[in-house]
Amino acid sequence: MNPARNPSEERLLAYAAGTLSPPEAVVVAAHLALRPANDAWVRRLQSVGGEFLETTIPQTLSDGALSRAMARIETDAGEVRAQAPLNEMPELPAPLRRYALGPWRWIGPGMRVRDVHAPRDGDCRVILLKIDPGRETPRHTHGGVELTCVLSGAYATETERFEVGDLEEADEDVLHRPRVVSDEPCLCLVALDGQIQLDGWLGRVMQPFVRL
Amino acid sequence: MHVDAPSFASSVPRGGAMSGESEDPCAHDRLIEAVALRRDREAFARLFEHFAPRLKAWLMKSGATAAAAEDFAQDAMLTVWRKADLFDARKARAATWIFTIARNRRLDMLRRDSRALPTPEIEPSENEAMRPDAILAMADDARRVRAALTRLKPDQVEVLRLAFFMDSPHSEIAQTLNLPLGTVKSRIRNAMIKLRTILEPSEEAPR
Repeated sequence: MNPARNPSEERLLAYAAGTLSPPEAVVVAAHLALRPANDAWVRRLQSVGGEFLETTIPQTLSDGALSRAMARIETDAGEVRAQAPLNEMPELPAPLRRYALGPWRWIGPGMRVRDVHAPRDGDCRVILLKIDPGRETPRHTHGGVELTCVLSGAYATETERFEVGDLEEADEDVLHRPRVVSDEPCLCLVALDGQIQLDGWLGRVMQPFVRL
Repeated sequence: MHVDAPSFASSVPRGGAMSGESEDPCAHDRLIEAVALRRDREAFARLFEHFAPRLKAWLMKSGATAAAAEDFAQDAMLTVWRKADLFDARKARAATWIFTIARNRRLDMLRRDSRALPTPEIEPSENEAMRPDAILAMADDARRVRAALTRLKPDQVEVLRLAFFMDSPHSEIAQTLNLPLGTVKSRIRNAMIKLRTILEPSEEAPR
């Protein structure tokens, strides 16, 4: 296992506990769909949560709580939940199929982006990024945390190669310039917090046009 | 807030054997199955009496008022009633299943609070479509997890418990425990590494 291409233990813990921000949880869910071993580990962490729930000191309920609950189930007509339709990208991992997708937008040579209409958290949102073989994104730093999961293809940074299912965590300290190294375009799911600060002359030229 | 739950070291017999418990550890599993099979109201009432006060305690620890926490417990238990037929004791025991239901509810609440974009009602794969290997791995998890927690240091169990119960940026845990943030982070990391070593001793396989 290479820690650089997996979520940190803290992030898996937060996911299992349900405290990860919703956009990040979407990216981790996609990663887990592609990495059964990590998925099994998260389930095990949820049984730790179950154990904590079991052993927590109970809080007394208000008077009549049980009879209110019983009355509720007597009159309960079940749950009315319209299933969202599947989106038009069957190649996406199952947890992503029910999110509506925005239109593809051109953001640079060989680079397209579309919004994933998953829940946002402040400025943090989820996007799909598709980059053609051999393309490099402009060198950039990040305003906030960026969490990336490779859905198809592969890219490499200065130090690491990221393939399908790999997850990369980048923050303000990381300055990087991913380059697509697969023969096919590289499709990534990204939870993005804040604006990407483009760096270098190309970045300065592009910055006004790039709305990520 | 203080941490008032008993430490695992003292509440659970060493080695994780269930013999010290008076109650059948699978009793709650059977109650959920009774709700699923027969819409058994008595079984639901017993589940409610056991779990609703614990769910309320959980939410209050994460900062909810008593009233909001109780509403949450009521709603979560209604979901237990509705979804009982999805429960599979081979995959997760009752407490874990109810924990994941509550966890998903809490996520849903966060989603509703977040900025308005259509939120499709999607439930992550928590309780469905498990692969056969995952089901096998889950078989005796309850016992193993309980045993593993007794082998952590009490302060490690404490940070894990807080990580589960608080909507916690780690800074909040640090404040609660009156510890530097770095200490909390490394304590959580060490607890997780220890837990993995105990629960997944053959971690050679590539992930």
